[in-house]
Amino acid sequence: MAEAARLAIALAAALLLLAAPPAAAAPEKDRRWSELNAEQQEILVPLEGEWDRLEPAQRVKWIGVAKRYPKMTPVGQKRVQTRMKKWVKLTPEQRKQARENYRRISKVPPEKRGDLQRDWAEYQSLPPQERQRTAPKKKPVTAQ
Amino acid sequence: MNEPQFALRIRQHLNQGARVDARVAAQLRAAREQALARHRSEPEAGLALASNALGRLGGVRGLSLRVLLPLVILGVAFATAVAWQQTQRVAEVEELDAQLLSSDLPIDAYLDQGFAAWLKRRASQ
Repeated sequence: MAEAARLAIALAAALLLLAAPPAAAAPEKDRRWSELNAEQQEILVPLEGEWDRLEPAQRVKWIGVAKRYPKMTPVGQKRVQTRMKKWVKLTPEQRKQARENYRRISKVPPEKRGDLQRDWAEYQSLPPQERQRTAPKKKPVTAQ
Repeated sequence: MNEPQFALRIRQHLNQGARVDARVAAQLRAAREQALARHRSEPEAGLALASNALGRLGGVRGLSLRVLLPLVILGVAFATAVAWQQTQRVAEVEELDAQLLSSDLPIDAYLDQGFAAWLKRRASQ
């Protein structure tokens, strides 16, 4: 019985070791600006000034974003480049909040919402009280 | 005498022969148990030899390979799982940021506290 248990553990470990490397692509390495290749520098050029001051984890993330850049549409590429600088200036909490909101907005089925840019413009044109009314509160407001 | 008949005779003999007295039965039992014990300990001997070799090599006398090996395997498996999970999480954030930054909406729309809720509420109406 003990032999069987040991064999099961060894098999599970072997499977894990075999399965892990292909499932997760090798993580990018942290690099200083001068160590980036020409293509990465070209994509990440808006961050050149602050690159070496960024957190190592952030730099690794941006190298990962640069890897996905060629697959984006030209419009998407332009957006990424113009938004980079603003994104790195946000606090980690703000970035977390933005990602959370991105997930929530992405979950709204496209057929139930209009064009997102038009929706955003419409929302911005609402009076401030109206906009604040929709902001999530600590306790959910229920109809009395 | 054909084969089934012969087998029947042998069986009858064996049945009669099995009626041995208590002393012989005890001896037979002891011999059988001894043989079984020896048979059981054979595979363990190989493991013990490997354990001794490891003990001599690594100076971990007293720690049996039987204890050490599963622990090492578990340790390696755990470390691999943690590293894999971390890599997955980094890749997830990369993908999310790439999508967010190239999306139709400006960053301000995602920083706004009310827009997502407003959009959701309107979609459910």
